[in-house]
Amino acid sequence: MPRASIVVPAFNASATIAETLSSLQSQTFRDFEVIVVNDGSTDHTVDIIQPFLKDSRFHIVNQPNRGLAGARNTGIAEATGYYIGFCDSDDLWVADKLARHILHLDLSPDVGLSYAGSILIDGEGQPLGLKQSPRLHAITAAEVFKRNPVGNGSVAIFRRAALMDIAYTPQKDRPRQWFFDETFRQSEDIECWLRLALTTDWEIEGIRGHLTKYRIAGGGLSANTNKQLASWNRMVEKLRPLSPIFFAKHEPAARAYQLRYLARRAVSAGDEHKAKKYAREFLKASFSPFFEEPLKTLTTLAATVCLSWTGYDPMRFAAILRRGTLNPRPQKQT
Amino acid sequence: MSHASILHLTDDTTPGGVMRVIDTILSSKYLAKTGKHRMAVVENSKLTLPKGGVDVIVSHLALNWRNFAARARLRAMYPDTPMIHVEHSYTQGFVAQKVLNKTRFFSMLRSAFCLFDRVVAVSNAQKDWLIRRDLIDEDRLSVIHSSVDLTGFETLPKPATSPRIFGLVGRLHEQKGFDIAIRAFRECSGLDLRLMVFGDGPLRSELEALAFCDPRITFHGHCDDPLEPMRSIDALLMPSRWEAYGLVAHEARSAGRKVIVATTDGLKDHIQAGATNVHDHSIAAWKQAIIQATQTLDKNSRNNRSNSNMEATRFESDWKKCLSSLQ
Repeated sequence: MPRASIVVPAFNASATIAETLSSLQSQTFRDFEVIVVNDGSTDHTVDIIQPFLKDSRFHIVNQPNRGLAGARNTGIAEATGYYIGFCDSDDLWVADKLARHILHLDLSPDVGLSYAGSILIDGEGQPLGLKQSPRLHAITAAEVFKRNPVGNGSVAIFRRAALMDIAYTPQKDRPRQWFFDETFRQSEDIECWLRLALTTDWEIEGIRGHLTKYRIAGGGLSANTNKQLASWNRMVEKLRPLSPIFFAKHEPAARAYQLRYLARRAVSAGDEHKAKKYAREFLKASFSPFFEEPLKTLTTLAATVCLSWTGYDPMRFAAILRRGTLNPRPQKQT
Repeated sequence: MSHASILHLTDDTTPGGVMRVIDTILSSKYLAKTGKHRMAVVENSKLTLPKGGVDVIVSHLALNWRNFAARARLRAMYPDTPMIHVEHSYTQGFVAQKVLNKTRFFSMLRSAFCLFDRVVAVSNAQKDWLIRRDLIDEDRLSVIHSSVDLTGFETLPKPATSPRIFGLVGRLHEQKGFDIAIRAFRECSGLDLRLMVFGDGPLRSELEALAFCDPRITFHGHCDDPLEPMRSIDALLMPSRWEAYGLVAHEARSAGRKVIVATTDGLKDHIQAGATNVHDHSIAAWKQAIIQATQTLDKNSRNNRSNSNMEATRFESDWKKCLSSLQ
């Protein structure tokens, strides 16, 4: 039985999955299995996976399309490792990611979910000069709710026992076990992390370093911010009965952070109208982000104002600056 | 052995599960053979043992840092007296929702458990959690499912139709999650459906306000007779946010009532014994569970009725085993 299983959900991922699987194959920690869940792909994803199957550690599972959460659930059911990690089919792992997380989990028996920061890359795999550097310690459910320190779906490494503690079997999908809620098409990550934090006593803890290369492809993340907000709201509605006191206390601030994030996304998409709307709503929800993260909050508001006055997205200008100056130098890891 | 003096300590005299379990032990004829069982109420962590000596101390106390010194003092004063601790309170769900500093809390539990010769978990789920979190060694841990005298429940006539009257029984406290059941019930149509709430507690006015718009939901306060709620209801709902065991689910099962529980902590033990589980605490899931219950006639309930004589003996024999292992 391998020490770790890595679940790779793949849906029409022919453009990127080879690079993803190579990054897993070259992990310095070698006692692992990779479970690629082909989630009803209609392109030649399977052909690209085929050569990797010569490596006996790589397996493929085919299923009709269930979406990201459904593919991950299938992968977990197939996984035999003591630790279970996730890597989406367009993201990459730094070579020592698995080794470092396993060391962390081995040494901290109370930690159920280990994570780290991420580097953002573009469609060609080039660094965008942006990083996700979340807080690593003293992670409470409130921190998960407000700031989602785990960041994206290619970061988390779970201890099997922690995953089993959040498993459930919905009536309409017996006897399959769900870990991620398959009724979500967005916010399925944060729903899972927050449920872990609210219903189990497992610690969520990060380690230093930016160990995932998270791809922001083409025109950036999906610009459908309305849908994203709707699914975030549905996540809150679903989990609120678990602990009304928790939500009464932390929801306004978490909502403000979520709206601030959506405002940034709207700015990036050049959608002046939406950016203004989210910024207004965010200020109405809570002032916490002002006190807790004044710099990022002010930047967001300034960018929104700039976009609405000049019609030019200042974030793009910043990106050009970053590309010009930062890229030639090697990435510094903190 | 029959002359052994066994002292049960408690600090919670509210009419709840803990007191009823202790009463069951005190009044058991079978356990009377193991020794003379007595109870002492510990107030403000002050405790002096009765004169004449005690052979075994059984703690039903809630452990915390505040009373830690008193626990240690008790151990130091009676180093040779076997001590058993029954963990009625703490579970994974409790820690998830109520404990801010988990490291500190677990240190408290580990060091407090060290003071006892044996620790008793009240459900298998609680035992699994205690072992998984390495809070106690497996060889010092026993499981004894809480129990009370169930003869009255067994003889209650079983509801004839599919459930129409649902019940919530327990303290009106955040822990019990009654707000979830009330919200879910409000969304279920059916003029002949009822939800009866038995119990009292800090959330009473809040829950009454929540149920205000729905005349099918009624509040009946606390009943001294535990049979009274069971007599009135067809099905019991337990959407608890944390629950070490859930004695009332046991009672409802032996009364042949349908039992619907959240998949939380000790309630998982009841699922194995035939209770219906709801996979999460969302209103939608509980609404669906209630509707489903009203549409199905539960044929298995009668067969699933736990045999109270057997179960009571099991509770008693487990205790006897636990006590004799120390003497």
